[in-house]
Amino acid sequence: MSTLLEIENVQSGYGEVQILWGVTLKMEQGRLTCLVGANGAGKTTLLRTVMGLLPAKQGAVRFDGQNVTKTSPHERARAGMAMVPEGRQLFTDLSVLENLEMGATPNHARAAMKQNLEWTFELFPRLKERTNQIAGTLSGGEQQMLAIARGLMAQPRVLMFDEPSLGLSPLFTLNLFQIIRKLKERGLTMLLVEQNVQMALAISDYAYVMNHGKIEIEGEARKVRELESVRKAYLGA
Amino acid sequence: MNLEALLASGIDGLMLGFVYGIAAMGLTLIFGVMRVINLAHGPIIALGMFSVYLLTNQLGLNPYLAIPITVLLGLAFGMVMYFVAVNRVINEPELTTLLATFAVSLIIIGLGTVAFTTTPRALDVNLGALRSGQITVLGTKAVAVLIAILVAAGLYALLYRTRVGKSIRAVANNRSAAEIMGINTRGILAFSFGLGTALAATAGGLIATLFAFTILSGGTFELKSFVIVVLGGLGNPTGALVGGILLGLLEGVFTIFIPVGWVPVIEYVIFVLILLVRPNGLFGART
Ligand SMILES: Nc1ncnc2c1ncn2[C@@H]1O[C@H](COP(=O)(O)OP(=O)(O)OP(=O)(O)O)[C@@H](O)[C@H]1O
Ligand SMILES: [Mg+2]
Repeated sequence: MSTLLEIENVQSGYGEVQILWGVTLKMEQGRLTCLVGANGAGKTTLLRTVMGLLPAKQGAVRFDGQNVTKTSPHERARAGMAMVPEGRQLFTDLSVLENLEMGATPNHARAAMKQNLEWTFELFPRLKERTNQIAGTLSGGEQQMLAIARGLMAQPRVLMFDEPSLGLSPLFTLNLFQIIRKLKERGLTMLLVEQNVQMALAISDYAYVMNHGKIEIEGEARKVRELESVRKAYLGA
Repeated sequence: MNLEALLASGIDGLMLGFVYGIAAMGLTLIFGVMRVINLAHGPIIALGMFSVYLLTNQLGLNPYLAIPITVLLGLAFGMVMYFVAVNRVINEPELTTLLATFAVSLIIIGLGTVAFTTTPRALDVNLGALRSGQITVLGTKAVAVLIAILVAAGLYALLYRTRVGKSIRAVANNRSAAEIMGINTRGILAFSFGLGTALAATAGGLIATLFAFTILSGGTFELKSFVIVVLGGLGNPTGALVGGILLGLLEGVFTIFIPVGWVPVIEYVIFVLILLVRPNGLFGART
């Protein structure tokens, strides 16, 4: 098993305010890793730093053996890293199809856009019916689907989800987890940041628990799920 | 009051309005994509005039060949200007970007005055005219309208039909999301800025085929562009074209009744009224 994305002792924050205090995290090829933690723990900050939207004050981000710590987000995206950001961040003035086209910006994704579009529409038939609709006019659930579909159109080697179930109905959430499972079967390496800790731990291979900008617990997801402290803090048991 | 004279003046203004529209599209495109108000807009229009003038008089090119070259020069100028003056302050508050573009404006005016003085220049182009009673349509003006339409259609096709155009709209819509999709947002910003200045320079080049000009002549058209941009809705290129045509028409009609010297006053009044009554422009959503 090889490590595809490696975050090593990363420190980062906003201006003078430090949020991450040395985070180390590894994502193995083809595995589903989840990252859970209380509100304000720094999960989004970590993802933004990994993607390059925030600079790392200390530490390194390595993707496929390459140190990408100093590269811009678009270079990381072109190398095969993708993120479905918190709050969707769709191009709300563009059509559904245009959003998907923008997702397929990296060269390898551009070349394979037709096939990718086909299987993305298979996963999200709803979007196919709405290809020419302006993204900002979609329902919340449809927007979340589009955000995920746009991430998939990049044909990424690693895909990071930041709270994809936020604001979704229970039915949509169930549907979302089925899709993530399908993607896992296809061998996609993923990082899942989730509020829904129960479900996240149930489908993940490996889990990290973050608190106050540090990783507190890590381990096989099914073992983490059994931990007394985790059950108390996140699973309401 | 003579109805035919009114019609003649109205048509004349309307045609000129297409050229105003092209200039305003440049201003509004830059604002729409990066929230920067380009205060060098007028001086760049003037540079467009001189570009066509010099290519025609120094290199002996046909003015209508000089115009496409001016489009490219305008694009290159804007991209260089973006990297030299704008990129370093792109994430700063609006006052800072205003000052940066204002500095460029002063530099162009200063150097331009040294190089060209402020003696008026004029191109020697004559494409004849169509006459019917008091109505006269100059050939140069008709060609200017035609070119303006082609340029506007070209911009529209670029923004809605090509990947780079869609990327421009994506960057305008959500810059950090565009960046994580793999779009080189800095490159797109530079290109968009270049498109904006290319439109300004093109408008200048067309104006040079119609009127005499100096390096300071961009100022009037900059003012008109501001009025039009507000009229058509900030950041809306289609609105800017329609707004330009509308302003040209109004000008044509007004100048029948009042001296030309009052035109800027009327324009300011329109500007303020629109800001008060329809701040999102005539075609924008009501607030
Ligand atoms: N732009 C910002 N400027 C300053 N502080 C910020 C900014 N964004 C987030 N923070 C702070 O950083 C800390 C970590 O926030 P972050 O969004 O990373 O948490 P999170 O784990 O993703 O939380 P949630 O589960 O609510 O999404 C919080 O205390 C937050 O207030
Ligand atoms: Mg978050």
